[in-house]
Amino acid sequence: MKELGKLFDRIIQRVNINLRELEFDAHPLINKLVPKDQMTKFYAFYGITPHHPLNLVFKHANLSGSYFLGKVRVTNSLLYKSDIRGDELKKNGDLFQYQDFNIPVDRDEEIDIEDCFLIKTLVHNYSHDPETLETFFIQNSVSTHYANIHGSPTDGSFLGPFSTVDLTTVQDCVIGAFSYVQAGEVSHLNVEPGTVWVRKPDDFNFMYRYPLGDLNNYIYFAAGSPPQGVFMDFVEDRKEAFQRVFSVVNIDSPVNVPSSTSLDRFAVIKPKTQIGENVLVAQRAFLQNSTLGKGANAQENCYIINSHLQGNNVTAHGAKIIEADMGTNVFVGFNSFLRGRPEARLSIGKDSIVMPHTIIDVRKPLSVPPGHLVWGLVRNAEELKTNSMSLSEFAKIKSRVCKGSMLFEGSGNSFVTAFQERIHHILEANGAFFDGKNNRGHAQRNQNISFNTIQPYPEGDKEGMYPTIIIQP
Amino acid sequence: MRNYIVKDLMVPISEYAAVPEEATLFEAVLALEQAQEKFQQNRYSHRAVLILDKTKKVVGKLSQMDFLTALEPKDANLERIRRFKQFGFTRKAVALQQEEYLKASPPIPDLYSKVAKKRVTEFMQRPTEGEYVDENATLEMALHQLTAESNLSLLVTRKSEIVGVLRLADVFAAVYHTMKESESLQGNGEAG
Repeated sequence: MKELGKLFDRIIQRVNINLRELEFDAHPLINKLVPKDQMTKFYAFYGITPHHPLNLVFKHANLSGSYFLGKVRVTNSLLYKSDIRGDELKKNGDLFQYQDFNIPVDRDEEIDIEDCFLIKTLVHNYSHDPETLETFFIQNSVSTHYANIHGSPTDGSFLGPFSTVDLTTVQDCVIGAFSYVQAGEVSHLNVEPGTVWVRKPDDFNFMYRYPLGDLNNYIYFAAGSPPQGVFMDFVEDRKEAFQRVFSVVNIDSPVNVPSSTSLDRFAVIKPKTQIGENVLVAQRAFLQNSTLGKGANAQENCYIINSHLQGNNVTAHGAKIIEADMGTNVFVGFNSFLRGRPEARLSIGKDSIVMPHTIIDVRKPLSVPPGHLVWGLVRNAEELKTNSMSLSEFAKIKSRVCKGSMLFEGSGNSFVTAFQERIHHILEANGAFFDGKNNRGHAQRNQNISFNTIQPYPEGDKEGMYPTIIIQP
Repeated sequence: MRNYIVKDLMVPISEYAAVPEEATLFEAVLALEQAQEKFQQNRYSHRAVLILDKTKKVVGKLSQMDFLTALEPKDANLERIRRFKQFGFTRKAVALQQEEYLKASPPIPDLYSKVAKKRVTEFMQRPTEGEYVDENATLEMALHQLTAESNLSLLVTRKSEIVGVLRLADVFAAVYHTMKESESLQGNGEAG
């Protein structure tokens, strides 16, 4: 296992060099986060479909339990139970629109991961950096449990547990636990835990910061221990169900699904679950006693339990919905945690937007009216009043508004429109609008995926390291 | 056009408000008030207090801004809010968030009284290398030092001794008067 240790040291050194200005040391935080013997236990796997390019290159890397799809290159890296999903990469001949430019894409885009340690991280979407159109790079970086790197080229950065970087080029930054950053381009920033930041320069700027004392109850991460709190307990309690789907080679579909729907064989489906047409259920999603109406989706690391989703619902990567009733077109952003109780259900009215990284955790019934924007920490009706606003009211903001710990500046109309357009695009990309002929999306394209497994050296100095592997059509 | 040098414009150290390191913030403000009353020579009043160690060496400067900053309530959450600027928010937005936070916070009892008793050294600024200027330096040199680092005043030295303070207001007045004289000469056709 000597090589694995050397690689670990190399990566940490590179991250620390990049983050020296912020005086950040990644070593104590991740030194014992994943025991080395865990990193030799699990096979890696990749998907083959006729709809996606197949070009995988693995060199001097550990890939334990990780999944790959599309065009991906991994060099000098440790990837632990991560999903590198290259099904939305740009293709040769595409036009990338940036401001007033229409930039032609010269070759199929590639996800290029080098000198990184990614732990249970999701990498998805495509590079939104106009300077690196054909390469979605992630380099000299560490990301920890359930982080999302979504369309965000990342260099020299550290991502805390349950953090998300979304459509943003990130350079030499520390993104704290449960922080969400969508800001176009950021560098040399230390974003403290529980920051939700959405910025479009010269147009709008949204920020919410969780009260740290309350956030620590849900997620707490400090040197010497793995991440702790409600979020970790919640996923750990359901870990065993995933062990079964990963250990069995041929698995029967646990429920019948319509032909326009995609149910990934690495998702966990518990009894009494009903899945409608045009639904996408991604790998590592967990459904139990729930209904997903037409056009709904459950993306990676989503948990939908004892809940009812009426249709065209986006449940973004890592979101959790428990004991809840969601109207049509409700969007639930990345890593949100929505928890009603059997005697205190949560209902969210149609067309509402639950901002990424929102926590709604109620012990009395709570209803979010239709067409509302919700953010931050909501544990009762009073906190809902502070941390929500109707979308039509929000769209009227022209200068700045402060509500509790939320600060918004700029055009509310642009902000609301940008969200609504993006939600529409996600539904479209996921195949929610498929009519049997047109508007095919992931739900229709990802139905027939073959999975192959690859494994590392079983012992010796190279134990845990994968040999150089090139997989092409 | 008159060729000013620094010592033509400086305020001698003996006329400047100064307090020892042990002084409280309130004592510093009193010293400033006294200096303003005693040595007011033009429309520009003294705006800072010098802090001296036991050997009468200048170890710091307390400006009106430092004094007002001392009165700003301080807690970890306010510090977080003040850092909003690095996320692209305007000063107005930061002030709005601060106001919202303070509205929801319990009032801070006797804030002024508490701050008044604090040591002046807690709030003073230690002079940096660029804040010293020789008494024989030209006005242009002083002007550059003031503007390069947005200083409101410079400490004037004679060898290693501090002999005065060169204030932005006095430099401005000198430049302004010189410019006025020059323009007037040109207007009368006497220039060149």
